[in-house]
Amino acid sequence: MADDGGPGTARGVRADFWFGLGLVVLGLAVAVESWRMPRLTELNVHPMTAPGLVPGLLGVVIFVLGGILFLRAARAGGWRPGGGVGVDAADLATQARRFFVALAMCVGYAAGLVGAVPFWAATAAFVFLFITVFEWRRDRPPAGHLAALATAAVQAAVVSAAVTYVFETIFLVRLP
Amino acid sequence: MPEGLTYFLTAVAAFAQPASLFNVAWATLLGITVGMLPGLTATLGVALLTTLTFRMEAGDAILILICMYVGAIFGGSRSAILLNIPGTPANAASALDGFPLARAGRAGQALGLATVGSFCGSIVGMVMLALVAPVLAEFALKFGSPEFFWLALFGIVISGRLTAVEDPLKGWIAGFLGLLVAMVGQEGIHAYQRFAYGNTDLAGGFGLLPALVGAFGFAEILQVMKNRDYQTVRGAGDRVLPRLRELWDNARTILRSGLIGTFMGLLPGVGEDMGAWASYAAARRASKKKAQFGKGSIEGLIASETGNNAAVPGAIIPVLTLAVPGSAPAAVLLAAMFIHGVRPGPLIMIEFPGFVYEVVAMVLAASVGVLVLGLLLTRPLLLVLQVRRERLMPVIFVLCTIGSFAIASRIFDIWVMLGFGVVGFLLREMKYPMAPLVLGIVLGDILDKNFRRAMVLSDGSVEPLFTRPISAVLAAITLSVVALAIPPVRRRILGLLSALPFIKRSEP
Repeated sequence: MADDGGPGTARGVRADFWFGLGLVVLGLAVAVESWRMPRLTELNVHPMTAPGLVPGLLGVVIFVLGGILFLRAARAGGWRPGGGVGVDAADLATQARRFFVALAMCVGYAAGLVGAVPFWAATAAFVFLFITVFEWRRDRPPAGHLAALATAAVQAAVVSAAVTYVFETIFLVRLP
Repeated sequence: MPEGLTYFLTAVAAFAQPASLFNVAWATLLGITVGMLPGLTATLGVALLTTLTFRMEAGDAILILICMYVGAIFGGSRSAILLNIPGTPANAASALDGFPLARAGRAGQALGLATVGSFCGSIVGMVMLALVAPVLAEFALKFGSPEFFWLALFGIVISGRLTAVEDPLKGWIAGFLGLLVAMVGQEGIHAYQRFAYGNTDLAGGFGLLPALVGAFGFAEILQVMKNRDYQTVRGAGDRVLPRLRELWDNARTILRSGLIGTFMGLLPGVGEDMGAWASYAAARRASKKKAQFGKGSIEGLIASETGNNAAVPGAIIPVLTLAVPGSAPAAVLLAAMFIHGVRPGPLIMIEFPGFVYEVVAMVLAASVGVLVLGLLLTRPLLLVLQVRRERLMPVIFVLCTIGSFAIASRIFDIWVMLGFGVVGFLLREMKYPMAPLVLGIVLGDILDKNFRRAMVLSDGSVEPLFTRPISAVLAAITLSVVALAIPPVRRRILGLLSALPFIKRSEP
């Protein structure tokens, strides 16, 4: 069976181990923070209606569920480092690279460009860059590169203009 | 009921106007397109359209959202049949038989039958919506704070159990994380700002829509871009229009799947995916050709497509009557109704008596839209599947960014979208279901307020939570679902049951 990180696979068990541990810490932190919330007794508030009660209970539940996940994964050897059965390392590296490139571009656009430069310009730059990077092929002749860049630029311009017009004029939405 | 019929017919007449028909056409078509494209879900479609239609008149906006919802759940069948990739998670069961049919050169027949199955499912669900919603709303008038507390907890428990059948622990973790997310911000009883640490944005809490756009939109974009490319599509091939004989032969499957789908939709947070799977399993059990299932069974395909579309009106029933969503897209629909000034809940038949029947008419309009557009545009719609993901995903992300920002005009909401996108991606990678997380975010406030109100009313005693009749039943069901998911407890209970004399007698 290929190791897709799903239940029962080595990667899945290892992920459960660390995520379970994270949940235990989160649950504990939430419970402690909830305990530290004011009880508002000076306002004659009943202790069973204090603001921290429900989040505190949820913290305890998450602590318990995370603990079960952690112990289950630990018993299955989730603490052991190493690759899973059938993992193609090159495939994983490609997937990771594609993921981080997409993440970087999206975060760069939404958290960096949007709000800092006019929306239409940010959108055109993002769409152009996204298409160009993901469609880049080293083995393409120079004319192919030019054609790819040109179509990406056209799509970027059309998307930017259309989105700006449709949302501002038709849907009356304020753009960032 | 005659009053209801009048409301319904008035609404149908109103939707027969050109402006409404235009809205039905474009919103259903957009929904089908969203559903068809792997990586775009009904939840994302409804969430994005909610942010874009919030300045519209309430009736128009909700009609558009329902058309998007019904269209997207149907649209996912196209890619399930032609690419073996479910367009939305609700169409996973359709791929089991739809794709083998397409491979056998019967793609057109499969697409046509899936269209009619979806239409029939929506109609069965719609009839159930019209019949059940008023009764349930009246019954829900008996609900007090303890009952709503248990209902919220039951929603998380049943959703976690049924959306993560192999590992309910992960479903429950997702659900309780959702509840925890809902705790951030100013609480509704003493106005205390929880987990805000002086930050005004955090004091306002995490908006449901930016969170959903992140968890269903940005997370999907990351997922799609990470994976290898999907194959583009071949043609539909043979005839698309189903024969009456085929439909008549499967009438029992359609009715059974419609009822099962509606029931699964009714359960909080369970939704269309389980509507399809449960209908598929029931059809397989009842079929005389069990061996065909998974190899191109018409019955299997019709059952799953009828089941998932019947779950749509099913999921709207608790939205309208209890303000508890039956699925993730229904959670967005619930938020949209609040944005437009409709207050769903037990008082809906008193405060907005005609609204339930207007929604029934909206489901009818969307179902007819699906039938007409689905059958007429089968071949042209296949062009959508040829759009390359490198060209589509940046456009979707631009829409996610605008959608997150649009409602409150807060840059913070864009950050929320990004944060939930990354968290949603990681949770999916670790095989956590998203529906309980969404349900948790929606139900967090209900659970919190009603638990503490119940405590105020009982002067701090938990007794009414277990002694009021409806509350006790809900508590028993909730605790049973948890107990039965624990293997040693389940074995013990099954052992005890098998020791009962009447059960022994029933054995062959």
